[in-house]
Order: sequence, then structure tokens, then C-alpha cells
Amino acid sequence: MNAPGAPIGLSLPRREAGEKATGAALYAGDMVMAGMLHGAIVQSPHAHARILGYDITEAMALPGVRAVVTGDDIEFRYMGLVVKDETAIAKAKVRYIGEPVAAVAAIDVETARRAAQLIEVRYQPLPAVTTIEEALRDGAPLLHEDFAKYTKIYDAPVGRGNLLAHSIATQGDPAKGFAMADAVVEETYAIAAQYHAYMEPCAALAAFDPSGKVTVWSSTQSIFRTQANLHECLGLPMTKIRCIAPRVGGGFGGKSEATIEPIAVLLAKKARAPVRLVLSRNQDMTAMRSRHPGWIRLKTGATREGRLVARECELWFDGGAYADDSPAVMNFALYFVRGPYDIPNVHCEGHAVYTNRMRAGAFRGFGNPQMTFASESQMDALAKKLGMDPIEFRIKNALPKGARWFGGQAVTESTLVEALETARDRAGWIKPLAPAPLGKRRGRGVAAMAHSSAFLSTGAIVRLQNDGTIAVQVGAVDIGQGSDTALAQMAASAFQLPVEQINLATPDTDSAPYNSGTNASRVTFMVGKAVGEAAFKVRDQIIEHAAAMLGVTRDEVSLAPGGRVVVTGGSRRNAEVSFADVAARSIWAVGGPVTGSSAVMASHAMDKSHTKMSGWLSFEAVGIYTFGAQVVEVEIDEVTGAVEIMRAVCVHDVGRAINPGATVGQIEGGFAQGLGYGLFEDMVFEDGRLANPSFMDYKIPSALEVPKKIECVLIEKPEASHPFGARGIGEPPLVGAAAAIANAVANAIGKSITRLPLTPERVLRAMLEE
Amino acid sequence: MTTTRFHAPERLDEAIRLLAADDEARPLAGGQTLVAMLNADLLSPSQIISLHRIAALKGIEKRSDGSVRIGAMTTHAGLARSDVLRDGHRLLAQAAGRIGHEAIRNRGTIGGAVAHGDPSADYPPALVALDAVIEAVGPKGKREIPASDFFQGFLTTALGQGEIVAAIILPPSLNQARTHYEKFARVEGDFATVSVAVALWRGGVRIALGGVGPVPVRSAEAEAELQAGQLSDAAINDAGALLVAASDPLDDVRGSADYRRRLIPRLVKRAIRAAQAKDAR
Repeated sequence: MNAPGAPIGLSLPRREAGEKATGAALYAGDMVMAGMLHGAIVQSPHAHARILGYDITEAMALPGVRAVVTGDDIEFRYMGLVVKDETAIAKAKVRYIGEPVAAVAAIDVETARRAAQLIEVRYQPLPAVTTIEEALRDGAPLLHEDFAKYTKIYDAPVGRGNLLAHSIATQGDPAKGFAMADAVVEETYAIAAQYHAYMEPCAALAAFDPSGKVTVWSSTQSIFRTQANLHECLGLPMTKIRCIAPRVGGGFGGKSEATIEPIAVLLAKKARAPVRLVLSRNQDMTAMRSRHPGWIRLKTGATREGRLVARECELWFDGGAYADDSPAVMNFALYFVRGPYDIPNVHCEGHAVYTNRMRAGAFRGFGNPQMTFASESQMDALAKKLGMDPIEFRIKNALPKGARWFGGQAVTESTLVEALETARDRAGWIKPLAPAPLGKRRGRGVAAMAHSSAFLSTGAIVRLQNDGTIAVQVGAVDIGQGSDTALAQMAASAFQLPVEQINLATPDTDSAPYNSGTNASRVTFMVGKAVGEAAFKVRDQIIEHAAAMLGVTRDEVSLAPGGRVVVTGGSRRNAEVSFADVAARSIWAVGGPVTGSSAVMASHAMDKSHTKMSGWLSFEAVGIYTFGAQVVEVEIDEVTGAVEIMRAVCVHDVGRAINPGATVGQIEGGFAQGLGYGLFEDMVFEDGRLANPSFMDYKIPSALEVPKKIECVLIEKPEASHPFGARGIGEPPLVGAAAAIANAVANAIGKSITRLPLTPERVLRAMLEE
Repeated sequence: MTTTRFHAPERLDEAIRLLAADDEARPLAGGQTLVAMLNADLLSPSQIISLHRIAALKGIEKRSDGSVRIGAMTTHAGLARSDVLRDGHRLLAQAAGRIGHEAIRNRGTIGGAVAHGDPSADYPPALVALDAVIEAVGPKGKREIPASDFFQGFLTTALGQGEIVAAIILPPSLNQARTHYEKFARVEGDFATVSVAVALWRGGVRIALGGVGPVPVRSAEAEAELQAGQLSDAAINDAGALLVAASDPLDDVRGSADYRRRLIPRLVKRAIRAAQAKDAR
């Protein structure tokens, strides 16, 4: 497939590196239009309250104010991926502290902010439920009285108070499995809410054209989900909604669904002018999303030979005030209940609950980091009980190629054993650690992980341009992870062109084929596949034209580097035409424009006879399991309990690294974000109010907390179902990081901590209790 | 509708006059706290009086009596690498070097940080341990306030209306001390969960804690105990318990009050041993 010189496997610089480094890159918050107004939002001070009315007189009287929008400006129209339960802006009730309840558009940001302070909302406070336990109490106040009436795409637990989703799955015979077990470990693991902490807070610019069509430039992971959400909550037909993604400063799942686009559109409509709305960091942290907090009770049994025989799991996720992706995230967590292991008997139950807290949503790993923390912690506890080496124990239970995934899908490739063995060798696992200096303790831990690459649907359009270069149109947004560069490399490789001759169109719902989103580790895998399929169609047409132009058969020509088609044999050997010649023929003489399109859908059959499931979303559009293993060394300060990561070895199956530099970047970044999740990131909610809504109080890792060198080892075994052999690597490096760190800490202090994050306080307490 | 006016006077008396005339006016030094508060809508001053152009607030100078006068507009980075601060006075440079991150240290000033009076910040315990004096200038002229009297409560100082910090003066005596600043924070660049400033000299011991009360915490009994017990482990344990009793920590995102109480004796011991290790020089 890969001709010499084709740009697959090269660490080419990012296409947009220069503009980002110089500050020239345009993000939604940088964009300006003639007559543009600036938006500001008003946020709810109540965790739960009925909205009695608004007084906007003073705000409207402020010179420079053009429009105020409240719940009175909208109808009860609902948006949402799995439950349609959210209006464009709060209407009738507010359900969490920080919820946008009104917004204003004015001639400048200062005026808009001042006007926002002048808007009076009259509330009747209602009793609030701010924890899972409170939400489930008998007679607890309901967040959504109309839950039964909402559109839902799964079998939802209607009439069970604030319970949003309840899913059960059984494989094999767990009772029989536990009866066979010689060692059983049971533990409850608690997990905290993590903030997405993308560099760019949510931002949107909305502008109506004279025909009544609105264009929205926003910081989003999906132009098509933005369009769908706007359609649902505003009642506009999609013919009147155009969504564009300019440069986007990170997402990590937090921008998978609508953010503030609906409010920007409402303001633009009412003010009859373009409106740009940019959240402050504080607003973003209190109004948007988090990773799901909650708890997982896990029980696992193994034989004395170290064979896993049974597992039982009870999972509770706090979904916050709106469903967002919660049922899907909870289901995905359960989907990884076995981790990457072959456990024949499993029973699990998962729950997502509405509470009066900011919604939780998609976040890099999508429920898997929580489950992997529990599962991998338990694997170490079991290994200890059995007196087995943790890596040996994992290898013994690794899910092999050809086995079934939980749910019944076929596992088409497994590199878990290779990943674990590579991590063991690279980390020098069998050698004891050097003794710790006085006052410190050292430990080493491992975590194995699996994640999926295939997800939902996408398409691509590839066109030959007049000068012989190639235009690629996809709906995928590069949110900073480098997918534009990877897609260009794949397209360039299909044509044996330098990447500079690939134009990647700005994601725009007016011109791009559908793509579900930049999430689920899917762009290089799914969109890359679509680009490949469309590119090959164009390549075929180019060859057909060229053969006709050269007066030979198709078999006598082949593509040559640099945009040429050359005759390979016979009397006309070495005669050639250029791509530009082909383009000219197609548009002026024969055949019409050379264009190829593709439609790709992930489809991986599940098997009800393998796993019985109820209350689940369908997961047939999820698949292609990818494995990895990480080994971490820590040093703990006996005086304070602080944990320092001394070394991290991250081994990941990437199929084929399209751009190894970017692949390693994903692994380093994923591990760093997992380090924050493992050690200190914690959105602290006190009665529904975020106690640390700033980077002063909420800390993410800086360069000084991340180990100097994260040793990345790529396992490259090209994935057969992908035209360029790639697999997704966006999420796997984060999935097991907290677990590997927790296991290293447990190894250092001789005691396992079952609550994330592993703050110095928790570590010190554990050490002092010994 | 009000707008914020901006002034950047060259003369100190002009700045004082502007500030004294308007209690909604705020002085701007390095802006590392003020600008963040403006961005968070926590403050909307009528006027911002920049102190950047005032020469009288700049510079670090060693005076003939051995004391050091640090102009209020000296940045943390400037202080951290100043070679005017020597021996015992290095405590303050050490504290300056632990404030926030490099970018913050390049902009933030000692005058602004001290005037803010945050008990989890790095300067307050260091200044108290060094017996520093705050030189304040206001409409009634200049006065000198000992650091131990200057910090009066959470974000509350002895500064009056229109009064600003003009300089910090480190007395010569503690230059002879062995000193150390020990800070523990969740991550590099955070405010202290607990910090300990220690000065040890022939005639005494001084310890001031940050992050465990509304102002830097000292305990005369603890210092006497350490002095009498010649810094033995036993004396440090007793002193640690006395300092815990003198502290009044809060539960917050940087740690629970209980955790802070546990840290106090542990970090005090670490700080004392680190200060003693500097003896060799």
C-alpha cells in the first residue's frame, strides 16, 4: 500500500503549527464581523428553583444593550443525544448552580457583562438533591417531572424518581463462577469529577443572513451534533442552520454536544445582528460538563491457579442535571467491566442518576477510566492474594484473538500479551527498584487497558482539482490532536503526493458529508477509512482517464510519485500524463469532474446468547478493540504523602502510526491528563456549588508534575479493516493511567487506596494507619 | 454607567493623592491578583492607579547598617535572583522563588503581594520570620509597621485608606541567622497548603507558618521550647504540638484542617533540619 516516499509513518509537522505558534490561528473567540455584538450570560445561583419571572428593564435601559434573552423567548423544545431533556436556555426551572438562565447582547463585552448583572430573575427555591444518595431517597424532589414524556433512545427507568438509566448485563453463571473461586476480592471504588480543562473555553459566533439562515462558528467537536442540537432546541430546519468549526482549542469530550451555540443563536436572532459569546473560565467550569463522579462496587473471583472465574459489578454515576451522554457513558463503563480479560461469568448493574449539579458528559475514555481504575486496582489486590506477579496474572487472563468481547462481539486482534510483555521488559519489572532515599518510599505498578476505535458513521468526499492537487472534504474537526495532518498524510499516500498538495476543507455542514464527531478515538480510524475509500475511487478514475489519454489499457499504467501516471511497459513505456492533464480532460472534455465519495458505518454484531442485556443502548456501532499496558514508578514523601511520578512506560497498540510524532503526543498528553485524574484533579461540589471554579483552586498537571520522560512504545501491527492500518489512540493512554499510578502507590505503601484522586492527604492517612 | 479610569503617575505623592481621594480606586502593581479579580468580576474599581512609573518604589538596596530595603515594585523573579539578599536574608529570596510560576514571578511584585495579605501566600511567613518592617506611605506620610503587626486577618492588613506599601525593610540582625523556607502545595505553583519559615540564630529561634490561620502563625512557647531543647527531636515534637495549638487552619481544596495540623510538626522538623544544614557554608 505504502509506496516509497509516501508520507505515512513520517512525523510531519502539524499543518497549522505555524499559525498556532505565532498566534495567528483564528478561534471562534477571535472572529469578528461587521456589526457584531458581544454576549454575556446570567447563571443560576440556585441548585433547584422555579423561575417565577424576569425583570430586564434595567438591563435593557443600559446604553449599548441590544437584546436580552430568557426562557420566555423559547418554547419547550428539547435537545439531547440519548434523552431530549434540555432547552436552549433554562425555562420554567433551573436545575443546577451555574445554569445559564438569561443572556444579553451588547455593543461590547463590558456593557454586556454589566447588563447581565442588571437582569433580575425571580426564583422560588425548591429542595435540591446534590448527591446520588439524596436523589434516590424516597420522596426526593424530581429534577424532571416530564421524564416519562421525553424522547429517549434506550429503555429508560420511567417512574423511578431521579433514576436516569439502569442497565443490567449477565454473561455465564456468576454464582457458579464464584463457587469455583479460591480467592475473592470485593471493594468499593470512589471516583471524582474531572474538568475537561480544554485551553479554549466554549465560544460561538452566530450570524443570520438575509435569507434567515444562521451560520454558527463555534468551538466544537462536532459540527453535525451542533447542527442537530440547534435544530432540536430551536425548531429551525437544518436547511437554515450552517455550522462551521474554525480552529478549536481542545475538547476532550466536553464539546461533543451543544455548548453555548443555542444561546448565541437566540441572541443573534433577537438582536438582529451577529453575536459572539465567549465563556470565562469560571463560567465554563460552572456551566458546562465534567467527567462522571460516582462509585463502583466490584467483586472478582479467581482460582488458585490464577484463572479469573467470576466478576460482579454495581456502578453508580452522578449524571448531574441533564442526561447529556450519561446513559451512554454508564453503558460504556459497563462494557469494559471485564477490562481486557477473559472472565467467563459476569453480572453487572449500572445506574445513572439525575442530581442538581452541573451535568456530567463525555470525557476522554467515556466511562472506561473509572471502570479501569476499579478493575485494575482489583487485579492487583487479587494477584497479591494469590501470591502471583501482577503482570503474570494479567497475561494469564488476557483476552485472546478470536475471543468474545463482553456483549458478544468478536475480538479480531489482541496485542495485550505483547503489550504487557513489552512494558515488563522495558520497565525492567523483574529487577527490584533502587532503594528509596531516606524519608521516601518507592513503588511500581502496572495497568492494562483496552479501548475501542470504531464508532458510528462518517463520510468523505475527495476531488481532483484543476491543477492536479486533491481536495478532501470531511466533517471531522481537528480539535488540536492533529487529525487534519493525519488525514492529509493518508490522502497524500493514496495519491503518492506530497502532503502540501492535499487541501483539507474547513469543517462545514454546508459542504461536508456527515460525521458524528471528533471523539471516541475515531477520527484517524473512522474518518481515515472514509478518506481512503473515497481517495481510492478518485485514484481509479485518474488511472482510467490516463490510460485512455495514453492509448493503453488500465493495467499498463500506474501512479508515480508527484501526481503522474506512467506507462509501465510496452512500446509506450515511460510515457506519462500529469494529474492536471487528467483534470483538464475530465472537466473540459470527457467524464466530468473526478470526484469520489464514501460512507462508512461501524457495525459489529453483538450476541444476546453470549451476554444478556437490558436497559442498554445499542453498541453495535462500537468495536475494534485496542490494547495497551502502562508501568509507572512513584516516589512518595513520607512527611507529606505527596506522590511523584518518577517514570512512566506506556505501551500501546496503534495499528500503524500515521504520524508517529503526533501518536506519541497523544500518548504523552493522555498519560498527563490521567496523571491529573489520578493524583489531584477533583471538582469539589458543596451543596451543588463548585468550590474550585478556577485554575487557582482546581489544578491540572503542569510540565513540572509530568515526568520528564514518558517512555512511549508503539506496537505496530496494521489493523486489517483499515486502509492504512491505523487504530485509534486518543483515549487509551488516559484510560489506565490513574490505575497504574494507584497500583504503584499501593506497592510503595503496602496498602491500596480506593478513592480518586490520590491526594497527599489520602496517601499520608493510609501510611499512618498502617 | 461607570467606566474605569487609568492613571500612571510618575510621582508617589500623586498616586497617594489619587488613591486617598477615592475609596473605589485601586493601585495596580504587578497585576497578578488585581487583574485576575477584575476578570472574575470580583472588583470593579472606579480608577486604576498604576505604580509602574514611580521610581521611588523600585530597586533593592543594602544600607550601611546592614539592613536591606526592597522597593515595593520589585518583582518576585527579581528578588529570587537578587545577590543583595545574602545569608539569612536568602529566606525571602527562597520564598519569592516559590510563588506561582515563572510568568507570575516576572510580573508580580512584593509590594502587591504583601498588601494583598493572603495568609497562604509565600511572603507573609517569611517576612514575619525575618522580623521585617513594612514601609507604608499614605496621605499622612510615611510609617513603618512590623510585619507581625501588618498582617491582621484574611486579606486584611494594617494599611489605611490611600496608603500603599512603599518598601520592605529587612533588619540586619537576622542576616546572621540560618534560615529556610519550606513550602508544601498540591502542585508546583499553587498556594501553600502549609508553609514554614524558619530562622535559627545563636540567641533564638523564630518560626512562622503560612496557610494555617488568617495571618502567619507564631508561637512564643514553641520557639522557647526549641531554644531550650537545642532543636532536639523531642523539642521539635513539643514545639510542633504547640504550633498546632496556635494554628487555626481551614478545610479547603488545598487540604483539610486535620491534614494541615498533621503537616505542621512534620514540615517544621523538615524546615529546621534544612536550615541547620546550611550551617556548613
